[in-house]
Amino acid sequence: MRRLAALWAKEWLALSRDLHGLAVLFLMPAAFIAIMSLALSDTFGDRMRVDFAVLGPDAARIASDLEGDGFRAAAAPANEAAARDAVRQGKLSLVLLAGPRPVVLADPALPQPQVLAFRMRALAVTLGARPADLAQAIEVEAVGMPRGRLSSVQQSVPAWLIFGMFFLVLPMSSLFIVERRDGTLARLVAQGVPFPLILAGKIAPYFLINLAQAGLMLLVGRSVVPWLGGEALALPARWDLLLLAAACTSVAALGWGLLVAAGARTLEQATVIGGVGNILAAALGGIMVPRFVMPQAMQRWAELSPMAWALDAFHAVMLREGAGAALAPACLKLLALGAALLAAAFWLHRRRGV
Amino acid sequence: MLKIESLSFSYGKTKVLDDVTLSIPDRAVFGLLGPNGAGKTTLISILSGLRRPAAGRVEGDSRNIGLVPQELAFYPMLTARENLRFFGGVQNLGGARLRERLEAVVAFARLDGVLDRRAAELSGGLKRRLNLAIGLLTEPDLVLLDEPTVGVDPQSRAFLLESIGAMRSPARHILYTSHYMEEVQAICDHVAIIDAGRVLAAGPLAAVLGGAASLEEVFLGLTNRRLRD
Repeated sequence: MRRLAALWAKEWLALSRDLHGLAVLFLMPAAFIAIMSLALSDTFGDRMRVDFAVLGPDAARIASDLEGDGFRAAAAPANEAAARDAVRQGKLSLVLLAGPRPVVLADPALPQPQVLAFRMRALAVTLGARPADLAQAIEVEAVGMPRGRLSSVQQSVPAWLIFGMFFLVLPMSSLFIVERRDGTLARLVAQGVPFPLILAGKIAPYFLINLAQAGLMLLVGRSVVPWLGGEALALPARWDLLLLAAACTSVAALGWGLLVAAGARTLEQATVIGGVGNILAAALGGIMVPRFVMPQAMQRWAELSPMAWALDAFHAVMLREGAGAALAPACLKLLALGAALLAAAFWLHRRRGV
Repeated sequence: MLKIESLSFSYGKTKVLDDVTLSIPDRAVFGLLGPNGAGKTTLISILSGLRRPAAGRVEGDSRNIGLVPQELAFYPMLTARENLRFFGGVQNLGGARLRERLEAVVAFARLDGVLDRRAAELSGGLKRRLNLAIGLLTEPDLVLLDEPTVGVDPQSRAFLLESIGAMRSPARHILYTSHYMEEVQAICDHVAIIDAGRVLAAGPLAAVLGGAASLEEVFLGLTNRRLRD
């Protein structure tokens, strides 16, 4: 135990003095969470605001009825030509040309779901109904969602937290490669320190760092994002399951880190393999682009990414408030991957030696 | 007596050690000489347990090995004290015993004024001394010194050589490799010259020297002047 404690203390000291490593582990995901939560807030409808105008008979009443759910009435242009100019210049997103055959002029930059929503509202008004009354007719209940819907912060926090957790590959493999390059690893083995113990000396500190990352990123979502003007993260009811999701993600990330550490010969190799591998897994796994906006075929490919499994586990806890069984498939895949990667790291090390 | 008997080792098809037999007497500082690629570091790797020989064996009662590699094998981001405590800890030294050994090696390598400086900030000579001190933490009975004076100034070299000489003890074997012939001639009482994995000469220093004026003359005579890398 004394030997393991010495290895842990060394790893902590080394990491605490690796400012680049700490920045990658803590600042990078925190910055991504803040930026992406704000940047995607319109896409997720957190604070959607679309300016529209109505031209034609009874325009004032129609505009008043159309307002709501993020659609805001603006001053109407003088005529259709002016309305087209305003849309073309991006001054207005939508203009309804009311009349016997209503037409909606839409800014091509506006997302299709918003155009469709406006068209449905316009249809309701044309048929003599008020959209606000229609919305009350059918209630939508998001099952298990603590705040009623998926928001950008609810998507961004787990996504970029997972991304940050997998980035332990960089500081972990860097120190390991330096240990091998400088003969420190050989010295430890010559002094009778078994290689599995050396690996165990790395696993525990980084596992705790992953959990610290999880805590800190939740705090960023809860406090920093609203301070910057975004929505606050809704915390899950089951903290134990959240811990389980983070722990399973960490096991996979640790396996990945150790495999790159054992396999890469130089710091440059580790940076490229670890960094690019993470970015590809994130792009594929719905971290950078939410999976629900991907086409069906891409969503099937996304299932190959461990980051997608981790995101499933976090969403099961944070969005759907699922029980342990809901996490099981994703967690089992993450644990199996972690074990396989760890075995591969051992095999590579035995093949290569110190 | 540490006996190395018929040791062979290959990297793939390249034979690095070929039937190497050597005897290292107790209390001796044994100089192992050879040009680059002769097999010195591979022999040290086998003696330290990092590699297994394809054939042959090492006989002796050395269980406690202190390896002082050619590289500065410590953590540059840690202080000298943290490095010593870490390497002591992973070798199961703790409490009073760790403090006692730490004080002993610090005094031996004269590191007392720099213990709280990061290893990366130490001078070349101090780094070499820290490298040596780490290797001596457990009072090893077999000390493997792989070119321990590379890249240091004459003062540090003189200090290191004196220190290595002072490490002699009845139950200790010291194996010393270097490219500096005058160093080996100054501190070693037994030497072996190897080239291409084979022992060309071995024995007490006087016997290997024969009538030659210097060890360098013997070395170049046996290994010839052909460049090796």
